Amino acid sequence: MSFFSPRGPNLMRPAVGKSELVAQIDPLNSWTSDSLFDLTTCSLPLPSIDPVAIPIRLKPFVTRTQGFLFPDSARWIPPQAPGAVNAEPKPRKPSVGKKHNRIKPPSDIVKLQDRLYYLLQPPLDLLVGSGQLNFPFEPFPYQLDGMAFLFPRYAGILADEMGLGKTMQAISTIRMLLCSGEVRSVLLVCPKPLVTNWLREFSVWAPEIPIVAIEGNSTKRDFQWRSPQVPVKVANYELLKRDESTVIDGGLHFDLVVLDEAQRIKNRTSTTSEVVRSIPRTRSWALTGTPVENCPDDLVGIFEFLSPGYLKPGMPMPQIAKQAGGYILRRTKDMVLDDMPPKLYRDAELDLTPEQWSTYEAAEKEGVVHLENLEQSLTIQHVFELVLRLKQICNFDPVTGSSCKLERLVADIEEVAASGKKAIVFSQWVKSLDKIRDALQPFGPLEYHGKIPQKKRNGVIDQFKEDPNSHVILMSYGAGSVGLNLQFCEYVFLFDRWWNPAVEDQAINRAHRLGAKGAVTVTKMMAMGTIEQRINDVLDKKREMFDTLFSGNETPTQKVGLSREEIFGLFDLRAPCGKKVA
Amino acid sequence: MPENKPETTDATIGYFTVVEDERTGWTGGLLILDRGGRPLEFQCTLPVRPTRAHEILFGPTLRSHLVGQVIGKLLISKCRTPLTLLCCDQIEGLAVEAFTQSPVALIREAAEVDEGPISLDMLAGSETVEVAGATFIVPMEQRERVAGLASQYRDLPDAVEPFERIREAIKEAHSQLARQRPEAA
Repeated sequence: MSFFSPRGPNLMRPAVGKSELVAQIDPLNSWTSDSLFDLTTCSLPLPSIDPVAIPIRLKPFVTRTQGFLFPDSARWIPPQAPGAVNAEPKPRKPSVGKKHNRIKPPSDIVKLQDRLYYLLQPPLDLLVGSGQLNFPFEPFPYQLDGMAFLFPRYAGILADEMGLGKTMQAISTIRMLLCSGEVRSVLLVCPKPLVTNWLREFSVWAPEIPIVAIEGNSTKRDFQWRSPQVPVKVANYELLKRDESTVIDGGLHFDLVVLDEAQRIKNRTSTTSEVVRSIPRTRSWALTGTPVENCPDDLVGIFEFLSPGYLKPGMPMPQIAKQAGGYILRRTKDMVLDDMPPKLYRDAELDLTPEQWSTYEAAEKEGVVHLENLEQSLTIQHVFELVLRLKQICNFDPVTGSSCKLERLVADIEEVAASGKKAIVFSQWVKSLDKIRDALQPFGPLEYHGKIPQKKRNGVIDQFKEDPNSHVILMSYGAGSVGLNLQFCEYVFLFDRWWNPAVEDQAINRAHRLGAKGAVTVTKMMAMGTIEQRINDVLDKKREMFDTLFSGNETPTQKVGLSREEIFGLFDLRAPCGKKVA
Repeated sequence: MPENKPETTDATIGYFTVVEDERTGWTGGLLILDRGGRPLEFQCTLPVRPTRAHEILFGPTLRSHLVGQVIGKLLISKCRTPLTLLCCDQIEGLAVEAFTQSPVALIREAAEVDEGPISLDMLAGSETVEVAGATFIVPMEQRERVAGLASQYRDLPDAVEPFERIREAIKEAHSQLARQRPEAA
C-alpha cells in the first residue's frame, strides 16, 4: 500500500509550486505477496513400479467318448413279398422338419446303449418309402406308429379300436422281429373262430414266414408244439388249456407270446388266465379293443400276464393310469380320422366248420348232378336255387346250426358293445337273422326287415338310436337299404353277400353318409372255398375291369352283376345253347 | 487316423454333429450308417464345458475350435468303422477333414435349418454334389471323388434325417446323465 508524502527530489519530481509533494512507500505498512508465503520444497519418495505376470492356466478341453457297434441284425431287411415289384428308388428330397414314425425305447429299457440301439434305427416311414420294408398295401401312418410301439417292447398292449388293424400291426412287427433275429419263436393265442383269420392275415402281410395252427389229435399237436422249423404257432385259448402240460412243463420257451382278444384273461383267477400266465416266454403282448370292459381291475388281469404284480387290484384309477400309460397304445377312429378312408373294408375270410363242410360238400355234389341231369331243361332258375341253398349252408349248417360266421360275428359284436358302439348286420334271409338274433341276445339286438310291420319300423330305429343297451340292429338288404339314415353306426357287417355290389353299397351307405360321426368299418363275411368265394371272385374281376376302363370316374357298380353265362359258370356248367364257361 | 478304405460294396456314411446346450455344454455325436441308412456304429462324447476363461480367450473362435479340433477330432479317432464319406450339418464341422482320409461334406439342407441360407460364396473353394436327393457342399478338390460315390447311396432313405437321430440320442444321453446326478448326490 502507498500514500502520498513529501519526498526528495530524486524520488519524485513535482511538476509545479514550491512545496513539492513526494510519494513514499511506507515500509512498515506495506507488504508484497512474496512476504505472505514461506515457500519451501519437499520431496516425496515413490515406490518403483515392477510389472508382475500373473499366469491364467487355461485347461485343455478334455472329454471322453462312449460308443458301440451295432449287431449285424440291425441291418435286417425283410424279403421281398411275392409279386411285389422292386421298383427303382424314386427321386426324393430330404424331409426337413417332417414327423417320422420312430421306434422309441420303452421306459423299462434302462441301459443307455440298449435305448440308443432303438433310437438310432431309421424311422419306419423312411424304410417303407425307400422300398426296404415292403407291404402288400401301404400302411397308414398310425399303423407304422403301432409297429414302432410294439417293436422294442417286452410287455405292451395294443388297444386300438376295432377296425384299425391290430392284427396287421402285430403281424408286421412280428415279421420285423423275426427278420432282425430278435425273436425266433412266437406263440399267438386267439379265440377259436379267429385262428383261420390269423393264418390268412399272415399269408397276406408276412407270406414268407412259416406258420402253423396247432390242431388235430394229441400226437399231432405235440409234434406241432415242438416243431422248431415253424417260428410262428397259433393256438386257441381252449386248446391251450388242453395242452397245458406240453406248453408249460414240456421244456418249451417262446421269445414272444401274443394274446389276441386279451380281455379273455381279465379275470385273474380263471383257468385260461392261469395257463396263459404260465407259458415260458420272454416278451408278452396283448391285443384288445377293450382293455377295460367293466372296471379298472380288468386291466390288472391283463397286466398279470404282461408284468405280474406291476398293477394291483383296487389301485386308485389315477395311479393305474400313470403306471400303465407307457405300456398301452390306444387309438380310436376319431384320433386317426385324417389317416383313414371314410369307409374301411375288412374281408372276414372264414373256413366253414367241419359240420358245415360236410353238409355243403354233399349238397353241392348232389346239386350239380341234378343240374347236369336236367340237360336241355336246365334253366338259370335251377342254378339260382342251388346257389341259394349253398349260400344258406355257408350261413348255418341246417342240421346242427353250426356257423363259422356266427362265431366270428359274436366275437366282433362283443368288442363293438364293449366299446359302447353300434353295428348293423345285413343278411338276405330273415331266417338267418332270427338265428343271429338269438346268439346276440346279450347285446340287445333289434330287427328291421320284411317281417316287421311298417308302422313299427320307425319305433325300432328310434329305440336303436336311444337305447344304450342296444348295440346291434339286424337288417335284410331289401328292408334296410333304402331311405334310412343310421350315421351313428360305425360298424357294418355283411353276414352274406348280395349278387350285386350296388345293393351292398346302398346298405353300407345307411351308416356312411355325409356328416357321419366317424369312419365306418365294413366287415364282409365270406366262407372260403365255397360258392361265396366264387361269386366274389367273379365280381372282383368285373370291378377291376370297370376300374381300369373308367379310372378316375365313379365306378358304375350297378352294372357289375353276374351275367347268365357267369352264373352257369359257377358250377362249371354249360348254359343250354351257350358255350361252356370255365 | 483310422484306415478309411471300405470295400465299395460296403460303402458307409458318417454323420457328425455337435449339440450346444447352455446347461449341459457341447456334446458331439458320430453315427455311421450303411448305404441303406441302417446304423453300424455310434460314438458320442461326454459334454464339454468351456470355462469363462475359455470363452474370453478363444473369443469367437471357440465354437470352431470345439467342433472341429476337440470334439470332431476325438470322435473320428474313436470310430472303428471305416468311413467312405463323412457329413456334417455345421460349417465348423468341415474342419474335421484334417483328421480323416474320407471326404467331408456339409449337407446344405441340414445346415440351413440353423444357419439360414448357405451360398457357395460363404465357403470359398467349395462346390456342390447331389447325393441321395440332398445337396452336399464339398471342397472343390473333392468334388469328383464325392460325385463318384453318389451312386452308392441311392438306397439311403433320407440324407438329412440321420442328424435327427444323433440329436435324439444325445438328448437321451443327457437325460440319463441328469437322472444319475441326483442319485449320485
